[in-house]
Amino acid sequence: MFYLSRIEHTFRVPPSLLNLPIEEAIKGELEKLFLDKVIADLGLCVSVYDIKSIEGGFIFPSDGAATYTVVFRLIMFRPFVGEIIAAKVKESNATGLRLSIGFFDDIYIPAHLFPKPSSFKPDPNKKDKGTWEWEYDEEPYIIDGIDEIKFRVHNVSYPPIPIEQPKEAKPFAPMVITFLCMSSSVSLLHMLGPKGSIDEDGLGPVSWWVDAEETKES
Amino acid sequence: MKILEANAGALTNYEVVDFLRSKGAANDSTRVLAQVSPSEYKVYDYLVQTAACNQTREHINDFVDKCKIYGLAKAEVLNIINIRPTSIIDIYTIVEEGETRFGDETRFGEVSKELAELVEKTLPPPPTDPESEAGINEGKEETENEEHNVETKGEEQTKAGNDDGKVETVVGELMDTS
Repeated sequence: MFYLSRIEHTFRVPPSLLNLPIEEAIKGELEKLFLDKVIADLGLCVSVYDIKSIEGGFIFPSDGAATYTVVFRLIMFRPFVGEIIAAKVKESNATGLRLSIGFFDDIYIPAHLFPKPSSFKPDPNKKDKGTWEWEYDEEPYIIDGIDEIKFRVHNVSYPPIPIEQPKEAKPFAPMVITFLCMSSSVSLLHMLGPKGSIDEDGLGPVSWWVDAEETKES
Repeated sequence: MKILEANAGALTNYEVVDFLRSKGAANDSTRVLAQVSPSEYKVYDYLVQTAACNQTREHINDFVDKCKIYGLAKAEVLNIINIRPTSIIDIYTIVEEGETRFGDETRFGEVSKELAELVEKTLPPPPTDPESEAGINEGKEETENEEHNVETKGEEQTKAGNDDGKVETVVGELMDTS
């Protein structure tokens, strides 16, 4: 989930920071540069972990500031494919679900990755909104926005910055996580007991698997 | 910008919380004084609601040692520590292809059960929020407790001093189980 990444970067430290100790000044500049930003293929930068080395301090002709080459490590948020994450529902509409884990909101479950058969029940009061239901044994399991839901990461993508964006398009997101097969930890999750067998690969809604198993045994 | 090493080690949620706490992140009124940026606080606020909140280095080392015998992949161990699954079925989703790796289904079932018990024993339960616990959330893994940090803040800060810089070694050294 969180990784360290070692990066080298050459940048200018403005003279206004000369009164600070060099490490502090550089750390501040690094935080300004990287914090809360997505680096393609590395993920979302959470924090500057440490500074390994500071070299240079060269002042280029006609520049009033020193330029340093710094090697440092960042804490990156980068989920791996197959990881299980618990998140909360943020939006629910006909195209799927959008989830949030507090500091990161670009998490989607597209409609085709829902367990089958799932259906979308539009909410008459709110435009475009509604709830998703999974049907099992003629019993609907509703995904409401209250409970945390666990998901398996299906894909993490870093879309390129669009040159021109249509007006009605969603705001650009530099990093998008797609999730697969959810197990909503709704009230269904209560089981535990001697483990029998699971006849499928277990890939899928955890709690619902439990449920399926119990039904079979009884 | 040059990426020297994209993956210089994985961190558990606990290590990130610990790092942020060492920077002065907390949930009380001193948070505005700390050198912690708003984006870091967002991460912190998320993480203190998860199982990582009450974990300590000892818990994690202990767990990593004890689950070595199962031969889990590094990522799986990491995921188990972060999620703290206490039911067999949660283990099932995290451990991939368990049936083939552990022989057959029944063996995998046993392993999952042992793992679930081990998790329950070695990793501390996540904080529970007295208000939200009453309803259907009973026994659920991740509920929040904002108050916890206020109490423990003092000791966290004293700890922060000597922990700094050691954080990355935990995962690197101990999790070469794969």
